[in-house]
Amino acid sequence: MRIDDYKQGNLEKVVEAGEKAKASQERLNAVVSFCDIEEQIKDYKHTQSDLLFQTPVALKDNINTKGTRTTASSRILDNYIPVYNATIVDKLKAAGAVFVAKTSMDELGMGGTNLNAYTGKVNNPWDLQRISGGSSGGSAALVAEGVVPLAIGSDTGDSVRKPAAYCGVVGLKPTYGRISRYGIIPYASSLDHVGLFTTTIKDAATALEVLAGRDDNDMTTSYKPVEKYSSLLNSDLQGKRIGVIKNVMDAIEDKTIQETFKQLLDKLESRGAIIEDVVFDTDLMNALLPTYYVISNAEATANHSNLDGIRFGVREDGDDLTSIMINSRTKGFSSEVRKRFVIGSYSLFTENQDKIFRKAQKVRRRIVDALKEKLASYDVLLASAAGSIAPYPDESYGEKLSATYLVAENHMLLGNFSGYPSITVPNAIVDGMPVAVNLLAKPFEETLMLSIAKAIEEECGLEGYCREVSE
Amino acid sequence: MEMYSNEYFKKLANQIMFDLSDEEIVSLKADFEIMLQQMELLNKIDTDGITEMVYPFEDETYFLREDKINHVLSQEDALENAPETKDGQIVVPKVVK
Repeated sequence: MRIDDYKQGNLEKVVEAGEKAKASQERLNAVVSFCDIEEQIKDYKHTQSDLLFQTPVALKDNINTKGTRTTASSRILDNYIPVYNATIVDKLKAAGAVFVAKTSMDELGMGGTNLNAYTGKVNNPWDLQRISGGSSGGSAALVAEGVVPLAIGSDTGDSVRKPAAYCGVVGLKPTYGRISRYGIIPYASSLDHVGLFTTTIKDAATALEVLAGRDDNDMTTSYKPVEKYSSLLNSDLQGKRIGVIKNVMDAIEDKTIQETFKQLLDKLESRGAIIEDVVFDTDLMNALLPTYYVISNAEATANHSNLDGIRFGVREDGDDLTSIMINSRTKGFSSEVRKRFVIGSYSLFTENQDKIFRKAQKVRRRIVDALKEKLASYDVLLASAAGSIAPYPDESYGEKLSATYLVAENHMLLGNFSGYPSITVPNAIVDGMPVAVNLLAKPFEETLMLSIAKAIEEECGLEGYCREVSE
Repeated sequence: MEMYSNEYFKKLANQIMFDLSDEEIVSLKADFEIMLQQMELLNKIDTDGITEMVYPFEDETYFLREDKINHVLSQEDALENAPETKDGQIVVPKVVK
């Protein structure tokens, strides 16, 4: 489904999208709460010139929506009803969007499988037994299913771009500071980005135009002007310089992924792109995941210290304030999240700060400096978005310290450490399952990145692809 | 207390206000072991003379705003999500006995 399919139609189609979302729930389990569509369209006053006129949109459940339950897929927020909107909610509404559902996610964003959601696993629309990926899995699944043409997610360590790859949709994470995060329940503030899912590059560009811009309520947002991304798209690849991250491609064991990637490179080359291998220092690439693990867990521990069941959230009984907090947090967070908090807290101890937390922050700078140097000679860097198609829940990624796991499955962290824009684009369907590639560009070069992504989309013929269309 | 004993991890958890069951501690220990191995990968990187990277960009996007009231939350909204309230305040058990 595309945004234009709705702009040309009528509001009935938005109501139908809500019905489709409800009908998909048994198959996908992608939704935490359904939004009141009738209420939103009662006095609908938008016109066709609004970028998201009559467009049904799904929101990840960590995005605050005034009056609509927002749980971040955590038990501790199961009863939380925000009293204000996230900035992006107001922006989407102003552009004509109608919200259909709040989507499932790994609890508080902490995970990459969507298995760790309070409401359970999200099923991959292309094979229900497989995972959707996470943490924005519910949003990715609803777009891939054809329920909505646009869904919003957040991306702290590839949480938009990886589920996009597994579900076969476009997943865009723009530059850090390009989209306001005010009103988004955080995970790790120095890595968190708002991102989005669509089935076309043009729709991704349109949605970015709506969402981007300075917001004084999020002091990390940029003052740089927002471009007309959708009208600036130009898929001419003549002379464009594309660097292929060799470390990633060498670490991928799946021959089919290698083959489809090679076929894509041939196509891009025949359109005039100049393609060269880029090799990063192996030790730096192997340090991506450990660096992320330390920084994200430490920031998450601090960010979520306010979730205690006292002022909001689910409160458990206790004899005194301390036991209320301990009981609320013990029952409120899953085992996985509590484990991560302990590890985060450990790295913040005075005696560990230098050797663990600050060390990781220094390694982060080394990694970003290396990226900056490599990217200086190219328009974009390109690699397979994942090392395999969407796995089954019990399928292991392999040895936790292997190159396949450390590099092939975690290279998109480069975009979070640096804040540089990055996009996942589906490039093939193999035995019914999608595979995708990922682009990484210089900061605020979204127009160039989207243009190259458009060329990939044209070559792969998957524009607008979703389960509803494929049947 | 023995480093990395069950009691040690329980104490860490209690410091950040939650509990861990014995089974959860077993699983945490496994994760912790992986983290310590991964730290060796971090320690391979020479960071002498490197300053910490705290945020992606160091451009100035912050400013000290005028000290004027904005963004006011009504008392009703502020208490909307509190589990128990009375006379405009959040109710908790007595702290001072």
